[in-house]
Amino acid sequence: MTETTSVLDRPLELAAQVSVRPERFGALLYHFGTRRLSFLKDPRLLAVVQRLPEVPTARAACTACGVEPGSLRSFDAALRRLLDTGMLQERPA
Amino acid sequence: MADATIQAATDADIPATDEGQDELLEAELLVEDVSIDGMCGVY
Repeated sequence: MTETTSVLDRPLELAAQVSVRPERFGALLYHFGTRRLSFLKDPRLLAVVQRLPEVPTARAACTACGVEPGSLRSFDAALRRLLDTGMLQERPA
Repeated sequence: MADATIQAATDADIPATDEGQDELLEAELLVEDVSIDGMCGVY
């Protein structure tokens, strides 16, 4: 996988039809269109998702939320999963 | 001898881990998905 294909380098945001409920383990996302639930099992991932609209890329959100470089691959995979399931969407440039 | 044969067969059955599977595992550490379709009447 090349660096340019990483979702970390894309501008993302929470999809409009998604509701977020913070939980002790992280958060619960519910998509009203697909009727799918996603459990975010790390509070840092919730922080990243909430920060996405304020920063140019998902990588910047991870950095701002204190995600260590060694954990970026896991966050990249998690954000890609959320994008694939429609919980996140790409922001217009 | 029999043990060696069984071990060889077991190893052959285990698929090699590729990058896609690694990503799937890494995503599952942080995200878990559930669909609530078909759960009417459960509660």
